[in-house]
Amino acid sequence: MIVVEGVSKVYGKKENRFTALKDVSFELPSSSTVAIVGKSGSGKSTLMHIMSGLDHPTSGTVTINKRNLHAMKPKQMDAFRAQEMSFIFQAFFVEANQTAYQNVMLPLEIAEVKRRDRRSMVKRALAAVELEDKIDTQAGKLSGGQKQRLAIARAIVNKPTLIFADEPTGNLDSATGDLIVKQLFSLNKKLGCTLIIVTHDQELADKCDIQISLKDGKVYSISGAKKGKV
Amino acid sequence: MYIRDIVRRSGRSLKSAKIRTILTALAIGVGGFTLTLTLAAGNGATKYADNLIKSNFDPSELIVARDANIFNNGSTSSPQEYDDTISTIGGGRQTFQLKRLTQDDVTKVRQTEGIEQVREGYRVSVQYITREGQKRLTASAEAYNGAQRPETKAGSLPKNGDITDKEILIPDAYLGPLGFANAQEAVGKTVTLVVRQPFSQAAAQQLLSKAQAGATNLNDPKLLNEFQTLTTTYTIRAVSAKAATSLSFGVAPLLVSNPEAKRLSEFTTQGTPDYQKFLIIYARVKNGDQASQLTVAKDRLTKAGYNVRSVEDTQTTLTQIVTILQSIVLVFGVITLIAAVFGIVNTQYISVLERTREIGLMKALGMRGRDVSRLFMLEATWIGFLGGVIGSITGLILGISLNPWITKKLDLGDGNSLLVFKPVQMLALLFALMLIATLAGWLPARKAAKLDPIEALRTE
Repeated sequence: MIVVEGVSKVYGKKENRFTALKDVSFELPSSSTVAIVGKSGSGKSTLMHIMSGLDHPTSGTVTINKRNLHAMKPKQMDAFRAQEMSFIFQAFFVEANQTAYQNVMLPLEIAEVKRRDRRSMVKRALAAVELEDKIDTQAGKLSGGQKQRLAIARAIVNKPTLIFADEPTGNLDSATGDLIVKQLFSLNKKLGCTLIIVTHDQELADKCDIQISLKDGKVYSISGAKKGKV
Repeated sequence: MYIRDIVRRSGRSLKSAKIRTILTALAIGVGGFTLTLTLAAGNGATKYADNLIKSNFDPSELIVARDANIFNNGSTSSPQEYDDTISTIGGGRQTFQLKRLTQDDVTKVRQTEGIEQVREGYRVSVQYITREGQKRLTASAEAYNGAQRPETKAGSLPKNGDITDKEILIPDAYLGPLGFANAQEAVGKTVTLVVRQPFSQAAAQQLLSKAQAGATNLNDPKLLNEFQTLTTTYTIRAVSAKAATSLSFGVAPLLVSNPEAKRLSEFTTQGTPDYQKFLIIYARVKNGDQASQLTVAKDRLTKAGYNVRSVEDTQTTLTQIVTILQSIVLVFGVITLIAAVFGIVNTQYISVLERTREIGLMKALGMRGRDVSRLFMLEATWIGFLGGVIGSITGLILGISLNPWITKKLDLGDGNSLLVFKPVQMLALLFALMLIATLAGWLPARKAAKLDPIEALRTE
């Protein structure tokens, strides 16, 4: 369960003051698929950053599985992200000079997973995105779709409870994008993790259990989830 | 993140930018190379200086002089008060006037508590040395010093003490000119040594009184020569090889027993101001192998008004010269390293800028700022390691290859090398280079650690 309660975010001071989020509140059940939609500058990315603990709200709280994210110390926050969260980005962010295996290994190294368990975990993650035959291939030699699948494998290898996907199909052609979306939703069902997608793509948003639409930093509409203060 | 994972990841990052890594490592390598060779040259020079001291001095002896300038290349910066022990040495611009020790000084030093034996350090200018049917050859002679035990090519040396008064050690340089086929052949054969007495007032009076007594004919042309020369025949006990570390210039001196050296020296200086006067004498200290005994004896002689040096002092002086020379070259090595350090800082800064999004991703995935910093510092450590290995191995290979040529060119003698490599020293240098490189990587690593992950992920 993710509870976002009265979250506001203000950047700058005095005449440069800009409010990115205004009193945003909602609850998301575990294992759901969530789309955060809205125009550019609506506060989608800011909300994702605050929900993932990468950024702090000016006011309000985010609670994930009864743990107040922003009450944690930086070290606890890092450990929490390493154990519970994962990210998929529009630009893939795979290390081109390293193999698929080495790319997928990164979260396991950060989370200090035992060495003997790592190889099998990486293999399983690559198999889940049908890239097991590319395990020793350099990431730079993969196609765009394969790179994003590799990023998905990296995101699921540590079995997180929460995956954030920021425009995951933005850099892909529609056929490849559809395949990636299909895989993401399939993994959500298979692994039982919560999938939060930040997107402009209404078609993709429509496939999610819950849609949160933002406008000028406020929740404009929400479907399938409890809106407002809890 | 486990440190071994950070080490492996940093190594992989460097591998992915091979050319840049190698070029930066080469900069460190140049410094490492210079320092490796400098340290090796320092080791070689120190070892050579030690050998030089060992083969020329007895460590239990003190070198005693009246004139402190003897230990300062003989040069004086101001005029000194005249006394009749002063001797003029050299000529032209290289003239030194030095006070000498007299026989009274020798007696005084000999009677000093803790002094076991005194060697006057006679140096005899021999008119010539020859053997039957052979040419006459120029030579000089010195007293044999049992504590030094010169290296021999043939024959043997007494286990302790002096050689007999009828024995002589000849340097191998005399073998051919004296008609010997080899060193072995020379041992047991006899040679004749002729020394000349300067014609003094005392000698003239002695000659006149002999003539007046009818003992000699003053008109005989051979008379003067016979009267002024002393001819002695010696049996060759051993043939000495000139050590590469010998301090004597040109042909090494003939070695005779101490009483013989004294007899010859006094004959050649009788009636002159040089008679029984010495620039330096050697005082052997009882239990002189103990540093404390040497210090006590040295203090006593210093209090008695003498200028005293132990072998260790001489060794220290030589070592200081080596250290100064080594330090000068080390400075150049360090300057090269400083340049290399800036190279590492630059490379790592560029690396941080190029990998901003990667850093953002790692931080988003929960990597701690401390671990990000370690990752970049370890990359710098790897560069230091690579540079150190390249520099020291290149230095080692070059040094080992050039050593025989340098030894020959500088006439260092067999068994001596200018470049002496010590594994422990090389390892220490490698660690030092790694440490320097790590410190050089600190600033870029700090920048990486402080990057805001959100900003980093937004970077194009």
